Amino acid sequence: MWTMPKPGLRTALGAGLLAGQAAVAVAGLRQGVPATHVAVVCWLTTSYSISGLIAWRHRPGNRFGPLMVLTGAAGLIGSLTWLPATVPHTIGQVADLLPLVLIVHVFLSYPSGRPAGRIERGLLAVGYAAAIGLQSVAVVLAFDTPLYQAELLVVSAVALAGAALMVARRRTRPLRRSLTVLIDAFTLGLVMIAVLLVVGVFGGPAFPAVQRVAIALLGVAPVVFLAGLLQARLARSSIGDLMVSLRADPADLGTPLARALRDPSLRLLYWLPEFDAWTGEDGRPAVLPGEPERVTVIEEKDAVVAALVHDPALHEESDLLAAVTAAAAIAVRNGRLQAQLRANVEELRGSRARVAEAGQRERRRLERDLHDGAQQRLIALSLNLGVLENRLGADPSSLALVREARAEITTSLAELRDVAHGLHPSVVSAHGLAVALESLAARAPVPASLAVDLPGRLAESVEVAAYYVVSECLTNIGKHAAATSATVRVSCDDGTLVIEVADDGRGGADAERGSGLRGLADRVETLGGRLRVRTPPGEGTRVRAELPCSLA
Amino acid sequence: MLPRVATGLRVAIAEDSVLLREGIARLLADAGFDVIATCGDADQLRAEIRVTLPDVVIVDIRLPPTHTDEGLRAAIDLRAAHPGLAVLVLSQYVEVGLAMQLLADSAAGVGYLLKDRISDVPSFVAALRRVAAGGSAIDPAIVSTLLSRRRRDDPLAALTPREREVLELMAEGTSNQGIADRLTITLRAAEKYVSSIFTKLGIPTTRSESRRVLAVLLFLRS
Repeated sequence: MWTMPKPGLRTALGAGLLAGQAAVAVAGLRQGVPATHVAVVCWLTTSYSISGLIAWRHRPGNRFGPLMVLTGAAGLIGSLTWLPATVPHTIGQVADLLPLVLIVHVFLSYPSGRPAGRIERGLLAVGYAAAIGLQSVAVVLAFDTPLYQAELLVVSAVALAGAALMVARRRTRPLRRSLTVLIDAFTLGLVMIAVLLVVGVFGGPAFPAVQRVAIALLGVAPVVFLAGLLQARLARSSIGDLMVSLRADPADLGTPLARALRDPSLRLLYWLPEFDAWTGEDGRPAVLPGEPERVTVIEEKDAVVAALVHDPALHEESDLLAAVTAAAAIAVRNGRLQAQLRANVEELRGSRARVAEAGQRERRRLERDLHDGAQQRLIALSLNLGVLENRLGADPSSLALVREARAEITTSLAELRDVAHGLHPSVVSAHGLAVALESLAARAPVPASLAVDLPGRLAESVEVAAYYVVSECLTNIGKHAAATSATVRVSCDDGTLVIEVADDGRGGADAERGSGLRGLADRVETLGGRLRVRTPPGEGTRVRAELPCSLA
Repeated sequence: MLPRVATGLRVAIAEDSVLLREGIARLLADAGFDVIATCGDADQLRAEIRVTLPDVVIVDIRLPPTHTDEGLRAAIDLRAAHPGLAVLVLSQYVEVGLAMQLLADSAAGVGYLLKDRISDVPSFVAALRRVAAGGSAIDPAIVSTLLSRRRRDDPLAALTPREREVLELMAEGTSNQGIADRLTITLRAAEKYVSSIFTKLGIPTTRSESRRVLAVLLFLRS
């Protein structure tokens, strides 16, 4: 019912509360109630009523405002004890302790307007039972009884427990920093209530003075809350800054949004309908948290575009969130397109790697088939021919034929070995880079020094790619570089395999020449690495490939 | 059937291709070897050798289960576990690096040959006998790779063509007598070539032929 109050109704309610409080105050003063006491009580009720009405206006969806107004109203009803007439006086007596429990309620319900948990709700139930039930009994019987003292102690305990809960909640819930100052003020207020009541039980001489100081202090709490509210309104001026920083078209949209909303934990996620998935700004898949109070969905034409994942406390500042998301709408749309592009690139990278992996697997299988099939059979055949040759004895023409056949098979085997090696360098996968590179360097077209420093075996795809880089570079040196020597260096540092092949030739290599270097770059990039060629004319050529790797 | 009397060197074979395994076994039996075990994988070979120690083991470098380096590892292990056991490794590819791993610190009783070499029966049988007798047999392809390697200030340039031939045969594990036979020269002439080569290359001379193989390979590899 309070979620959509008419503005006129709210104004009337405020005017009524103020007028009522003024009337009761005048009557109280006439009855001889001390002016200081009247002043602090009026301060308390007015503070709650006005702050509550303002909060209500700015946070129509939040119960916190109405709750504060109710607290102010309860204070007004409590002050009816100042009136001499029996009925209002009695009503005032019954409601005497109610404002204090309501204040505990207010404090425990910040900022959502609802008590945070079951413990809080239970505590408040005890408080209300004591402040209404036991108080009514006391009104009927007498105030000078142990029952009434017990009631005061119960309400005091409720206030202290409330203070303790607030401290605990602050430890476990990550609220934004600007709110913690308010919470400190509230905790102090609760301790004050408790002190007030305990002093009341023992009827100390300082009771009226302590009561006035405490009530005055408690009246500050709603003002502090209002200050927090105004701070949130001030935050809207940060929307101006947001607009300015968005005009610069930042690549990272999350940072200015986090600044505008004063929430360092803020993350911006985009909804990509093509992928039917959420993605981060980097285009990688992301998961939307399940808690609704941490998520604000940004829609455009009834279609979900993006989502802000933020501090739950921000959920209460829905108008600020709305303003910020409206200001960022165009940037979010652009950001989403970029995220989509990045997601496409990620996907392409993944499928490119899968295609390459499948290709490599197939080549490995073919190599294996050749090795176990044709090659073994040919060797067995030539072995049999060898045995036959041995048994033939001295028939020169037959011997010559058999020898010729055996030589043919040997040639075929050499060719098959080259084909198999071209398909997949099984020496690399069976015995590692160091062994395979030694033969490459030994067969290099120019004197080549080789330095391999690896802690162990790496992933097969990485080893094979590294082998091809060295092999291709050495071939290029022989074909084009006119070099007198080359160096090959392979090392592994911090999860990166670095392969460097350098020569002292004429330099000026064309990176796009033939398919050699381009093909190598493709091979390296498929594995998430990169290939750089430095080839100034007259100063030799240096090819450097970096591949992400982990030990196999 | 009467128990077979061991007439020659005792051989165990580990080769996963049945065709080749049986072919090699038949060839060796023909040549007067006593084939005491034929195995399909390295574990079987290890088990056989625990029962009867052969004079020489022939092992394929690529064996089940992963078909990567099981054979090589078995050869290295067996050499370490049985110092007197001669091992001949066969492969469809030969690599300088693998030869060096296999030789480790001694070329005595070690062979590493391309599988194709089997079909030249007399040479293969000679190589096997040499290995079984504590000599070595290094595939010519490895030696030629090492010899053809481009070097700055190539020390091999100082050798005559005849000396290069002798160096090649030495690196393959051929004895002085074997060199003399191959090049149809006298033993004395072969010895003269060998000592000349050692002087020109600055390799410390050694009387042991197997130690000589390792020294030459290390020189060529450096």
